[in-house]
Amino acid sequence: MKRTYLGEFEEIVLLLVAGMDGEAYGVGITHKLNEETDRSVRLNQVHAALHRLQEKGMVASRLGDPTPERGGRRKLLFTVTAYGYRTLHDIKEMRAQLWDNVPAAPKLAFNL
Amino acid sequence: MNPKPPAPRQNAGSPPRWADRLLAWFCAPHLLEEVQGDLYERFTRRVALVGERSARRQYIWEVLGFIRPFALKRQRTVHQSDEYTSPISLHPAMIRNYLKIAWRNIAHNKTFSAINILGLALGMVCSLLIFLWIQDEFSVDAYHANGTRLYNVMERQLYDGKVVAAPSTPGLLSDELKKKFPEIEYAAGFSWEDQRTFTVGEKFNREKGRFAGADWFSMFTVPLLEGRPETALNAPANLAISRKLAENYFGSPQAAIGKSIRLDNQTDYQVTAVFENLPDNSSEKYDYLLSWQDFIRRNEWLKDWGSNAPRTFIQLHQARNGDLPDADRLEAKLKHFLKEVNPRMKESPFKIELFLQPFPEGYLYSNFKDGYQDGGRIEYVRLFGIVAVFILLIACINFMNLATARSVRRAREVGVRKVIGAVRSLLIGQFVGEALLLTFLALVLALGIVWLLLPVFNTLTEKHITFRYASPSFWATLLGMALLTGLIAGSYPALFLSSLNPIRVLKGSLRFGSGARLFRQGLVVFQFVLSMLLIIGTIVVYRQINFIQTKNLGYDRENLIYLSAEGNLVDKYSTFKQELLKSPGIQSMTYMDGTPTNTFGSTGNVQWPGKGPDVSIEFQFSTVDYDFTKTLKLNLKGRDFSKAYGLDSVSYLINETAARRIGYVDPIGKPLTLWGKQGTIIGLIEDYHMTSLHIPIEPLIIKLSPDPERKNIIIRTQPGQSREALASVETLWRQLNPKFPFSYKFADQEFQKLYRSEIVVGTLANYFAFLAIFISCLGLFGLAAFTAEQRTKEIGVRKVLGASVPSIVTLLSADFLKLVLIAILIASPLAWYAMNRWLADFAYKIDIEWWIFAGAGMLATVIALLTISFQSIKAALMDPVRSLRTE
Repeated sequence: MKRTYLGEFEEIVLLLVAGMDGEAYGVGITHKLNEETDRSVRLNQVHAALHRLQEKGMVASRLGDPTPERGGRRKLLFTVTAYGYRTLHDIKEMRAQLWDNVPAAPKLAFNL
Repeated sequence: MNPKPPAPRQNAGSPPRWADRLLAWFCAPHLLEEVQGDLYERFTRRVALVGERSARRQYIWEVLGFIRPFALKRQRTVHQSDEYTSPISLHPAMIRNYLKIAWRNIAHNKTFSAINILGLALGMVCSLLIFLWIQDEFSVDAYHANGTRLYNVMERQLYDGKVVAAPSTPGLLSDELKKKFPEIEYAAGFSWEDQRTFTVGEKFNREKGRFAGADWFSMFTVPLLEGRPETALNAPANLAISRKLAENYFGSPQAAIGKSIRLDNQTDYQVTAVFENLPDNSSEKYDYLLSWQDFIRRNEWLKDWGSNAPRTFIQLHQARNGDLPDADRLEAKLKHFLKEVNPRMKESPFKIELFLQPFPEGYLYSNFKDGYQDGGRIEYVRLFGIVAVFILLIACINFMNLATARSVRRAREVGVRKVIGAVRSLLIGQFVGEALLLTFLALVLALGIVWLLLPVFNTLTEKHITFRYASPSFWATLLGMALLTGLIAGSYPALFLSSLNPIRVLKGSLRFGSGARLFRQGLVVFQFVLSMLLIIGTIVVYRQINFIQTKNLGYDRENLIYLSAEGNLVDKYSTFKQELLKSPGIQSMTYMDGTPTNTFGSTGNVQWPGKGPDVSIEFQFSTVDYDFTKTLKLNLKGRDFSKAYGLDSVSYLINETAARRIGYVDPIGKPLTLWGKQGTIIGLIEDYHMTSLHIPIEPLIIKLSPDPERKNIIIRTQPGQSREALASVETLWRQLNPKFPFSYKFADQEFQKLYRSEIVVGTLANYFAFLAIFISCLGLFGLAAFTAEQRTKEIGVRKVLGASVPSIVTLLSADFLKLVLIAILIASPLAWYAMNRWLADFAYKIDIEWWIFAGAGMLATVIALLTISFQSIKAALMDPVRSLRTE
């Protein structure tokens, strides 16, 4: 079976796109990412991730309307494709499965 | 197409435009709008938050962040294109098509292709030869492994208020320096070139070599086939010989070691080392080396710190951290060393200083001006480098000119290609590619020609240059040269042709603007300026060389023969002279240390009544035999040395310059003290040139010498009887001196050697000037043919209306002649300046006269006219009915 590789950063971006319900675009995602995960990312990183995701077929894009604060340029809005959703679910399930193997109270070893 | 963005709000400020342009330039087009929009949105927000300046800075920062693979221009990989993509890409079929078209163009226009290829090939031949020559010049002395640590110790002296630098140093200097300065690892003296007769059994021959210090083989990379570097020259009877000598005398290097060789039929030496024959690219050539101890023993005067003759080389220790040694610091310490070892020097008005010259520079930078390094052969290297570039440029210009001129024919092809969807960059690629194809054809041709010419070129330049097939740098240079030539030659046609508007081309309303014509004319002018420079340069160099060779030097160098006094000729000199003067064909005879073109040495130790304490004049001096002035045919006032007077051991001859410098109006009979020996001036010699015409005539003192040992015997033969004279000299030599090989030199040939580099430069300049004008005319020929073709119809109409053939020829030629005339006007002052600088090197030189420019101009005009008129006459003679029928 062909496996899907999704980097950690790509996964977060994909999750954010999924959460933003059709309103996701470069700047919006960047701001959200900075707020929610408290890590500072640069715009070009987000763009790169989005385009990689699109090449992998996990997101689709369409052009929005031009707005004045963008100097009259249109937004490129991203939505998660069915394949994207499935991948996210797969990852979640796989993680859950792995968590099941973890004992309830981890033994902490102190070697003093 | 994207809608045009509404104008941004004025009060928000705007991001830097250059950053936007940069982004637009590198960003893939299908990403541009999104990226730009996002950036702009952030910018707008930031202006409100942190102010405009900071926002602009961050904007630039973010733009730069997008320089990464995903945003850089590249093909869209997602199949959602909404634009029609260009069908012309670098598809194999398309490349085949380009090649096919290129080949058809070459094959179809044979004249133009031939002119182009031939022009480029000739240009490349020139630059290749020059490149090989320059490479060879730079390789001289560059092969020593310790080259960066080797230095030549030189002297700077104040003479006559002028600082003069020379490589002559005291004989004891090398040993003393090594003792006193721990920075010096090795030091070795090096004598002047000597010839000695080697005798092994029955074999004897004259060999060239020198004396050198014991460290010699430790310093310089001269591989020893036998013997060890430390012991090769460490005792007075040691002798190191080259492989050549070892093979000549003993059969092999192994057989030679330990054997003894008799030198000058006097002393036996032991072969302690055999060294590999010196490579062609070493500035010093020697076939044997004798030890320094022997040198000092043979020449007692070398122990005097006031006498300078041999050279001194040192090698510095490697610095501890592996850096190059600090030569400047050592130089500062060395500077006054001679005053320390020789207290007499402290009061000397000569103000002697030592300084260091890096050894590998010695060959190319041998000239000194006011005591500091000032060019040398490097100037010829630079000069020829420039000439190479010029000639290649002339060839490139031909190509550009012809290609643009012919662009009308290609315009339709360009139009069609553009309409089918070729983008400009592909068209540029196509035309540059065509230029490269032609260049490579030319390169192959050029390589063939160079290969054929190389032996001739080597004879001309006295070098042994070969193709270094194995060296990657050779091929890299070739490839680089061809690429560069192709790019330069192809650039303008490519840019010009690819810029044509397809609609206008295909509608047939294409008119070339005056810009293209002006550009073409500019190129022609430029070409002819370069050619004119070379022609004028050649004339001036040729005239100066001619001047040197015909100038009256003050003595008669025809019919003079030199022999060297050695073996029995020293003891039996008077017999030899007596017998020889009775032989047929001999006029007179003398001897001299040095030769008429090279006095033996110079001295400052001259006194005369009334000489001021600060006066320091360097006098050239020579010691001679009786009949000196008679043999050289010098003009003399007073009398020559004569056996009729007993006191001639303290009599002196001086030249007019010396008399003037001393201040004697009538010097004959006046006192003069040389090296503390007071004597009288008995004769005044009219000034003659003692060395090359680079140097002004210097004051000269001549003294009688009783001993002919190691001097040059100078014989004047009867004009027209040199064969008889030589035969009698040889017979007598064989009788008196059978153990030594007979050899002689002609004075006029020795004289030619003084101007070896000028003569080589002159001959090369000749060929290059010819090539330059030839290549320029090739281009002119092509352009004229093109113009004639373009104006076929016009000429037809003119003829029908009654124009005569001469008037049409004039019409067609006038345009080009105008350009050539402009070129002459531009080139003349440039050439005048350049040649004045070259001539400044000579103390005696020709004047640059106006007719040189006029003559060169005439020459260029006539050649250009001949070239053009061929085409013009052809066009003018054409039948107008044929050219007009199609209309």
